[in-house]
Amino acid sequence: MAGAASPDHLFGLRNSFYVGAYQAVITGVQAIPARAALSPDALAERDSLLYRSYIAIGSHQLVIDEIGPGAATPLQAVRLLTVYLSGGAGGKESAIRKLNELLADDAVGSNPILRLVAGTVLMHERDYAGALKHTNSGGTMELLAMNVQICLQMHRSDHAEKQLRIMQQLDEDHTLTQLANAWVDLVMGGSKIQEAHLIFQDLSEKYPATCLILNGKALCLMHMGNFEDAEGLLLESLNKDAKDAETLANLVVCSLNLGKSASRYLNQLKLAHPDHMLVKRMSSAEDSFDRACQAIS
Amino acid sequence: MLTKFETKSNRVKGLSFHPRRPWILASLHSGVIQMWDYRMGTLLDRFDEHDGPVRGVHFHATQPLFVSGGDDYKIKVWNYKTHRCLFTLHGHLDYIRTVQFHHEYPWIVSASDDQTIRIWNWQSRTCVAVLTGHNHYVMCASFHPKEDLVVSASLDQTVRVWDIGALRKKTVSPADDILRLTQMNTDLFGGVDAVVKYVLEGHDRGVNWASFHPTLPLIVSGADDRQVKLWRMNDTKAWEVDTLRGHMNNVSCVMFHAKQDIIVSNSEDKSIRIWDATKRTGIQTFRREHDRFWILSAHPEMNLLAAGHDSGMIVFKLERERPAFSVSGDTVFYVKDRFLRFFEFTTQKEVQLAPIRRPGSVSLNQSPKTLSYSPTENAVLICSDVDGGSYELYIVPKDSAGRADYLQDAKKGAGGSAVFVARNRFAVLEKSSNQVLVKNLKNEIVKKSPLPIATDAIYYAGTGNLLCKAEDRVTIFDLQQRLILGELQAPSVKYVVWSSDMESVALLSKHAVVIANKKLVHRCTLHETIRVKSGAWDENGVFIYTTLNHIKYCLPNGDSGIIKTLDVPIYITRVIGNNIFCLDRDGKNKLVTVDASEYIFKLALLRKRYDHVMSMIKNSQLCGQAVISYLQQKGFPEVALHFVKDEKTRFNLALESGNIQIAVASAKEIDDKDHWYRLGIEALRQGNVGIVEYAYQRTKNFERLAFLYLITGYMDKVGFMCKIAGQNNNLMGQFHNALYLGDALKRVEILENAGQLPLAYITATTHGLTEIADRLAAELGENIPSLPEGKARSLLIPPAPLTASGDWPLLRVMHGIFEGGLDATGKAELEEDDEAAGADWGDEDLDMVDASEAMANGGDGFDAEEGEANEEDGEEGGWDLEDLELPPEAETPKNAGNARSAVFVAPPPGMPVSLIWTQKSSLAGEHAAAGNFDTAMRLLSRQLGIKNFAPLKPLFVDLHMGSHSYLRALATAPIIPIAVEKGWSESASPNVRGPPALVFTFPQMEDRLKAAYKATTDGKFPEALRQFLSILHTIPLIVVDSRREVDEVKELIEIVREYVLGLRMELKRKELRDDVNRQQELAAYFTNCKLQRVHMRLVLGSAMGLCYKQKNFATAEHFARMLLENNPNEAQARRARQVQQQCSGKKDSSELNYDYRNPFVVCGATYVPIYRGQKDVSCPYCGSRFVPSIEGQLCTICELAVVGADASGLLCSPTQSR
Repeated sequence: MAGAASPDHLFGLRNSFYVGAYQAVITGVQAIPARAALSPDALAERDSLLYRSYIAIGSHQLVIDEIGPGAATPLQAVRLLTVYLSGGAGGKESAIRKLNELLADDAVGSNPILRLVAGTVLMHERDYAGALKHTNSGGTMELLAMNVQICLQMHRSDHAEKQLRIMQQLDEDHTLTQLANAWVDLVMGGSKIQEAHLIFQDLSEKYPATCLILNGKALCLMHMGNFEDAEGLLLESLNKDAKDAETLANLVVCSLNLGKSASRYLNQLKLAHPDHMLVKRMSSAEDSFDRACQAIS
Repeated sequence: MLTKFETKSNRVKGLSFHPRRPWILASLHSGVIQMWDYRMGTLLDRFDEHDGPVRGVHFHATQPLFVSGGDDYKIKVWNYKTHRCLFTLHGHLDYIRTVQFHHEYPWIVSASDDQTIRIWNWQSRTCVAVLTGHNHYVMCASFHPKEDLVVSASLDQTVRVWDIGALRKKTVSPADDILRLTQMNTDLFGGVDAVVKYVLEGHDRGVNWASFHPTLPLIVSGADDRQVKLWRMNDTKAWEVDTLRGHMNNVSCVMFHAKQDIIVSNSEDKSIRIWDATKRTGIQTFRREHDRFWILSAHPEMNLLAAGHDSGMIVFKLERERPAFSVSGDTVFYVKDRFLRFFEFTTQKEVQLAPIRRPGSVSLNQSPKTLSYSPTENAVLICSDVDGGSYELYIVPKDSAGRADYLQDAKKGAGGSAVFVARNRFAVLEKSSNQVLVKNLKNEIVKKSPLPIATDAIYYAGTGNLLCKAEDRVTIFDLQQRLILGELQAPSVKYVVWSSDMESVALLSKHAVVIANKKLVHRCTLHETIRVKSGAWDENGVFIYTTLNHIKYCLPNGDSGIIKTLDVPIYITRVIGNNIFCLDRDGKNKLVTVDASEYIFKLALLRKRYDHVMSMIKNSQLCGQAVISYLQQKGFPEVALHFVKDEKTRFNLALESGNIQIAVASAKEIDDKDHWYRLGIEALRQGNVGIVEYAYQRTKNFERLAFLYLITGYMDKVGFMCKIAGQNNNLMGQFHNALYLGDALKRVEILENAGQLPLAYITATTHGLTEIADRLAAELGENIPSLPEGKARSLLIPPAPLTASGDWPLLRVMHGIFEGGLDATGKAELEEDDEAAGADWGDEDLDMVDASEAMANGGDGFDAEEGEANEEDGEEGGWDLEDLELPPEAETPKNAGNARSAVFVAPPPGMPVSLIWTQKSSLAGEHAAAGNFDTAMRLLSRQLGIKNFAPLKPLFVDLHMGSHSYLRALATAPIIPIAVEKGWSESASPNVRGPPALVFTFPQMEDRLKAAYKATTDGKFPEALRQFLSILHTIPLIVVDSRREVDEVKELIEIVREYVLGLRMELKRKELRDDVNRQQELAAYFTNCKLQRVHMRLVLGSAMGLCYKQKNFATAEHFARMLLENNPNEAQARRARQVQQQCSGKKDSSELNYDYRNPFVVCGATYVPIYRGQKDVSCPYCGSRFVPSIEGQLCTICELAVVGADASGLLCSPTQSR
């Protein structure tokens, strides 16, 4: 009865965050019963989930404003992440510098959220080895999941699988384990796509359909060559959030493969997310085309 | 033992089941015979005429009769319908122990303490045989179910088998004298019609019971020596087979079970024992605390037993008969005869999947109890009570369906109940510790979770959730969060049925159905007097369930009703429209078709879907008092109105729904006072004055009518009423009306006429009618009444009515839904018709276009069999990652804490998929998709001599964009691009990279070609040119799978090239306004291009016209001839023939650079003919020809390649490089 006696009030929040139901996290924080006396650690986790959700929906300034200098290390880390994500080159540099200072501090350096933020930032910097340096020792499921993602970013799906196995040993049914499993499956391709599809299917049964889940399902279908159905799912996702970056990006890909015009989604994406990978890829593709043209003539 | 029914009474000595109705007779030691309905649990009747204990009782198989025999030496035959004892058979000289009807002949066999067995004919009411031989009390006697035998048991320690064949023969051909003779014989010699066949000796004490096996030549007996003995017989002898020991006291009764290979016995040791008839071992014992058992009885048809004891009786069965099943999508999985099977509802196909294990121990109720199925893994969990609760997990390979020989070792485990909670997880209840074990398909424990309530059973409740059932309630428990998501008080739930959308759940307990939503918020509860058996949700959210004898429905608001009566219990598996699929007790799938209109109708009403209600009313004959009263009760009298023909009911309903028009019509039909009166009241309530007036007139209710006129301001009519009252001598009425009118004169007159002179006088005086007053005073003389002094007088004037005409503002009456609904549906249908018509027109238009297109394609059949692209290049893509030389991997140390940075060495990055794509491929399209534009360009340049890449830019970018999808992994972390590969199949091994999926495909090109053809046909030349060019630009980047397709691609290039050349010339011609010769030349060259026939005809037509106008008759004639060769249509042909006639023999007026006799090609840049033998150069890509001076320039046709450049040729398939 131990488990039932002390219910994990953050459980729902965490899962909502993982599956991309950020608004549910924001409202869910309010719904935690007041009598549930949270430990300081849990409080910090709750707040970091809350602020990270705000970041995910793009409310960067709110996070920067709300987290004061006196806040706990995890929140400071979250704030630095925000600064990094929203800042220009200068802001980025200073954020990384401060992060490194915190990481070097023995007292707080091993805080999981701090390490998670470090991993995230370094991943953005494409310093995957550096990122792994902070995240590899694990400690939380999220850090382990990040290991998986970093390995995938490095195109080392073999290592990603190893990391995944560690997660599975700890808790096979954890939402992050499931998600990480789906990532690895998707990247590995082949028959594994089906497994990924089953996982997203399960998630969509368990949780309300979020853009993240719908995108996941759509990706699987796309990789199975079924672009028509994938488009349907993506449009459903677009209904939920007309500005969701991945939905738009995948719709571009999907439309292209269906032989349809993708320009409207592309323009929407350019407007809403000028920094999105697809936009960047596109402009760099155009540049490299011109360069190649010059080189060949 | 599953007890179905129990009674408390005096000691029960005799029992008998009714063969068809759910009735049982119990004869008591007190002398009473009770008749019970064991299904409803009610006492139907008592028969109390015996004096002293009644030991034997038996129902007749077909007639409404039963027989009883008691300690008063009497055998009584009763008719239970008339509740009368028909007659009494006298003859026995001592207590009667048992009585039994023969299944065929009108006989009764009775056993008595007078040491005889007698056979009676209950029709002639005589004793036909006396069987003597026993030399002690005969405790029981019974007929063999088929043969002419009787078995009896006696306290003389023997069991005897009697042959009554002679008796039967005599009955078949009865002759009076013989009958009489036998009668005599019987009396004298104790019977020759029945002779002892065998005497079975072996018991050491008195034998209490003996009975035949229903089919085999076996007898079982029970005796005071506490033993049960099994005997066997053949034609000549009978012998003891075995002895069953175990009872601790006298065995009272023993019998074979009709359906199973078991023997059931009971005894004064207060126990019922079940024995295996083959192994002759005890299987199970049921004990009672204080009551000795006396009698056993089996139902002749059903799987039911009854036992009588010291203080009542029990009706029970030994084994569950409910088949274990689980519905998943379109199929139901169930267990029948030790086989797992499934049944598809849509095809009604039944398939045997796999055999399941037999339980090791021989015991009762070991058959599968519940079944749970995981569709994605095709795994089945079967739970049973074996070993105190256990489950077996079968994983059925998909292809094994239908193969009966397939056998596997099931994974087993102990547990109260087991159920799938996710695709590959199941939960097992461990009752002892009240926790669930979550296991994976390998039967390994993944997780343990304590349960919040003391749980007896668990059920599925959505992925990751369990519905836990405790004694008095159910909860939904989230296994991951360990949270209770919902709780509901519902005592002893037995079955849980979820709706297909998992939004609603029905909890079935023995006598109740509880409907709740997915959070277990209570919606409604239904109580049943009869046991609830099963249920399923239909598509509309109606819960259909069965009790022992009914199929019933339950609407979301808790309304319920009977759909159909059942003869035997069934277990509903699925409801689809009017069809109810179910399993019966033998595990057979059945389809019951019911009339769903009643509950669908009620549901439509409930959901306020009046359009449905409307159409159902219009289309179906659903009617009856029940529906009407339901409608009335639910507040829809206006709907009910439409069902009713009976005027009185119609009138009532009309009043209730406020439909005054219908009420008036009905009232006219009925035409009685009461109805008019009620109509008046309702009309008044609504303010419909006209109807009120009419109603009052019809009832001749003048007073009300007058008052109505007064308040509605019809003063003239009040005056008229006054007159009528006068005619009817209704003085009071007349006076009233006068008062209403304020007509003092009239009042005086009335009073005077009535002889009320003093009153008339006062009235007159008060109103200042002095003349009359004086006259009256004179008449009164002395008796003039005195007027009250000192009081002011005022006129009594009736108040002015508010409205003086028409009806009052009417009360709003709700009859809109219905009438409106009718109109609306009618209209909607009309509109739909219109739309359909419009669509048809559109279709026809399209058809015409199609037809012309089909003609355009002619016989060439360009849309070749594209579906046959054979996948030969599987291995081409198989560049395994393993091939790459990876540096040795550093083990990632797992020690937490600060040590992390010191030892950890990150693995070097791997190779992106796009790099793998480019490594071995020499296809430009794949390089472009991978983003390697420079190599792609180099390839194109080398292969096709392409130098101008500008038109290809958007294509390159699109290819690159379409080659990766984007996966959001962790929030705020960078997204992961994932390479989209081509030709995915289920069996593709992971991590083996296929070629990239390209956004441009060959079929797309064919579609574009069709569009371009169409534009050409329509004469939209710039548009057509643009389309053809886009094809030409895309082809270099296309990748196809087979050699054949490569040829098709090459063919496509040629087709498109010809069109581009032709169209360019045509556009050029349009630009030239003055140079008619050049115009003719260009038109002529256009005819030289290889075109579709439809286009060729157009081109020829235009060239012919042009030349004819310019008087170049010979050339025009040539074009006319060519046109006629090209299957022209009527108009074209006529025109061509005219031209031919006009031109024949004439010569050209001007010289054209066009010699159709000499084969030539047209230069793509200068548009001059290059006759055979002349020098030319060609484009390395599109193959267009040019005059030599163009060499080194950009090809004007494809706009890509350099004319005359060196090139290796088009490479568009991996098969080419093999």
